[in-house]
Amino acid sequence: MKSLRVYSFCLIICVLFSQNIWAQHEHHEPALKASVVADHSLYHLKSSFTNHREETIKFADFKGKPVIVVMFYGNCTQVCPILIKDTWRLYEAVDESVREQVHVLAISFDTENDSPEVLKEYAEYEQLDIPGWHFLTGKNTDIRSVAMMLGVKYQQQSDGNFAHSNLVTVLDKKGEISTRVEGLNQPMSEAAKVIQQIISEPIQ
Amino acid sequence: MRLLKNIVTLTMLLMMWASNLLPAQGVLQTKQVLVPAGSFHAVLPEVAGEPIQVDSFYMNETVVTNEQFAEFLKTNPSWRRSEIPPVFTNKGYLREWKSDLEPNYEDVGTNRPVTRVSWFAANAYCDAQGGRLPTLNEWEYSAQLLGITDKAAMDKFSSSLISWYSGIDAQNLAEVGTTGIVTTKGVKDQFGLVMEWVEDFKPIIADELSLDCGTVGRMNTLNSLYNYAASIRYITRMSFNPKITTGMVGFRCAYDKSVDTFQNEHGETL
Repeated sequence: MKSLRVYSFCLIICVLFSQNIWAQHEHHEPALKASVVADHSLYHLKSSFTNHREETIKFADFKGKPVIVVMFYGNCTQVCPILIKDTWRLYEAVDESVREQVHVLAISFDTENDSPEVLKEYAEYEQLDIPGWHFLTGKNTDIRSVAMMLGVKYQQQSDGNFAHSNLVTVLDKKGEISTRVEGLNQPMSEAAKVIQQIISEPIQ
Repeated sequence: MRLLKNIVTLTMLLMMWASNLLPAQGVLQTKQVLVPAGSFHAVLPEVAGEPIQVDSFYMNETVVTNEQFAEFLKTNPSWRRSEIPPVFTNKGYLREWKSDLEPNYEDVGTNRPVTRVSWFAANAYCDAQGGRLPTLNEWEYSAQLLGITDKAAMDKFSSSLISWYSGIDAQNLAEVGTTGIVTTKGVKDQFGLVMEWVEDFKPIIADELSLDCGTVGRMNTLNSLYNYAASIRYITRMSFNPKITTGMVGFRCAYDKSVDTFQNEHGETL
């Protein structure tokens, strides 16, 4: 009888133990209330990404600041340098006095090759290892989610290269899409004006 | 006495082992099927005539059920109907459920595919299982491993497929695993039950194809009825956006490695 009681006790402990493990699976941080985050904000994406400085980044970290987002991959030698240069042109078109408020997220969809170290080299090579610029990697499922939210398509080809959309997106202070520039070598003055406008708006 | 002690020890070990597996597999576990590497001809070839290579991967034997999705929602409240933000879905999300955590079993029955879930929710579900959605090429490659070698039989199958695509009865979905359509590797119901989300359901080429009557004609149908059916499927998928929730679209998850393999490699679970 006593053994049976010990046995039951063990069972209970085991169950508690397993539930505890289960609990670790949930998010511990208090979830951002839907009323706080705008309906169509990218801040709803709670996933973490890692930048080329090995810092952990979430979209919601940029609350109150305009963000330029571009998706690319490091081994892309034909189109991506132009796409990154386009992003730089947009960044540079913002008044120098307020430019430091703008953050740039260059997100790689080549999760296999573009580690933070590789992205660091990339940033240095492109002379873009500057404050406010984040070359990001993350989990495949998260990167794909960002792409779906932005409307960026990409598909890995048999040779390892990616077919992808060329899109530069501006997020406002609430993380919602403000404007998008589609295609390469596009004029950036309109999008820069949108960023200036976002900066001049009061933070809600 | 000693026997009882042994039983206790064994039970404890088993439970500890099980508790390690629980978060990854959940209670309502679906078998994972190994789909070995290979190649296939898609209706959207990269280079005309060259087959698309696919690496080996694991895929769920059947699509995700309402029961399984309800389990996921218990531990992931932000994906419940009352919580999910509009950036991830439209208003039809799990529309026919009785409440946040209760599928409408009385009307639809048990063990039915979960439908009316957006791509974002499907992606989050698979992520929580330690998996992901299958890529378009993985899904298509697996789907054509039907082992039908006879052309007449294949044409007959493809004809029924075409009529199925033209009228999926979203209100009366069968139980998962019951279509009788199984690939040679053991993956069930890729046809005949629901259409399925894939990771990249809108391939990059979709920009260049307008969804008009000529589209099917411009696809690489290789004079095969199966490819004609496939092009209907591709075009339907291309018309989706990641927020839509329809009664004819469900999903299953894929994995780079099976959970068992993962456990063994990352060892010391006991």
